[in-house]
Amino acid sequence: MLDFRWDIIGEYLPFFLKGALLTIGLSVGAIFLGLIFGLLMGIFRISPYLLVRTPFIWYINFFRGTPLFVQILLIHFGVMPMVMSEINPAVSALVALSLNATAYIAEIFRGGIQSIDRGQMEAARSLGMTNLQAMRYIIIPQAFKRMIPPLGNEFIVLLKDSSLAAVIAAPELMYWGRAMQGQYYRVWEPYLAVAIIYLILTLSLTYLLNYIERRMATE
Amino acid sequence: MIKAVNLKKSFGELEVLKDINVNIEPQEVVVVIGPSGSGKSTFLRCLNLLESITDGHVYIKDRDITSKQTDINKVRTDVGMVFQQFNLFPHKTVIQNIMLSPMKVRKWQKDKAEKKALELLDKVGLAEKAYVYPDSLSGGQKQRVAIARALAMEPEIMLFDEPTSALDPEMVGEVLEVMKQLAKEGMTMVVVTHEMGFAREVGDRVIFMDGGYIVEENLPSELFGNPKHERTQAFLSKVL
Repeated sequence: MLDFRWDIIGEYLPFFLKGALLTIGLSVGAIFLGLIFGLLMGIFRISPYLLVRTPFIWYINFFRGTPLFVQILLIHFGVMPMVMSEINPAVSALVALSLNATAYIAEIFRGGIQSIDRGQMEAARSLGMTNLQAMRYIIIPQAFKRMIPPLGNEFIVLLKDSSLAAVIAAPELMYWGRAMQGQYYRVWEPYLAVAIIYLILTLSLTYLLNYIERRMATE
Repeated sequence: MIKAVNLKKSFGELEVLKDINVNIEPQEVVVVIGPSGSGKSTFLRCLNLLESITDGHVYIKDRDITSKQTDINKVRTDVGMVFQQFNLFPHKTVIQNIMLSPMKVRKWQKDKAEKKALELLDKVGLAEKAYVYPDSLSGGQKQRVAIARALAMEPEIMLFDEPTSALDPEMVGEVLEVMKQLAKEGMTMVVVTHEMGFAREVGDRVIFMDGGYIVEENLPSELFGNPKHERTQAFLSKVL
């Protein structure tokens, strides 16, 4: 520790920043896609029809029940070569993270929707609204407010878990940490630097989420 | 206006409505009374299909709502409902609560819906509360907003499911007053309630339910003054 080498951190700083950008890109992209597909899946997941519901239940079981690490490897080396002629690690990472986030977010949506009092749906339906209208105007807006804390949690987990993309050489933040470690055979400098950058990212995200939560609470 | 024929409803093994036959005329005010668990709320909820019907038929303005061909959403626009727990939409202001369905279901323009909402709020005595959220209202005020919300769809029938049961005693009067006014204007009403005074004063007919059956039905003066059935007598002796 006494011979902590600031100079090699300085040397790698541009790469760390570039990596952090990809980390942010992967996270934001996966959150965005996860929200869209997660909402849809959360709704199908509670369908009264067994045949509609079952495939989504198993999708969620699979992506929540197996390690993200394994999913990334399967998708990058197994699935992507089947659907794309040229595989790109960043794209594979985005796909894996999005599929994984979709499963978790679907469960968050389901919980949020089911936490709304039954009387809200009944009142909406008694006023002539269709199930879809009641969902859109009454249930989902109220459920969304309750979903913010668990969604925030999921976003933070997602941001950190994007570091697993390093194993398929997607050049995100952790990838550059490992590259630096490999070049200099040093432990503290690369990993501590990377850890601090992750911390800055998650704290910023926490701050942003708290801000959104406060704003929605006063409405 | 409303006709139930051999209406039956079971929750799993439990048969809640055993064989209900009722015919309600336009502009009639029917009050349904009975002990808890007698099936009176379930009966009311079957009338707009908030409960699925196990057997038998319910006709609303000659449309069989148990038929798959009937668009239940369309039927429901003719049937307003007021709930014990108010069920106002907490994320919307009072006036938004009232305007939402006319705009989304009836496809009214905003001005028209707003005008109607303000009119109705005035009618239930809450014009000054139009732009607040339901959270800031008392129970009695919430229930009056709920009535206004149901009326905004211009229904021909209003169903009331114990509308005053969740209210503090001093607020019961203001809600009953609004309901009396509606009855006077000729609204067809089915009211499940424990307010015997209201039943006697406003009802055209009182139905006494027990154990999933209609035990007795009659004019309020007759049913309260001279109950024929033993179970009606026992119930009335406890509540009056």
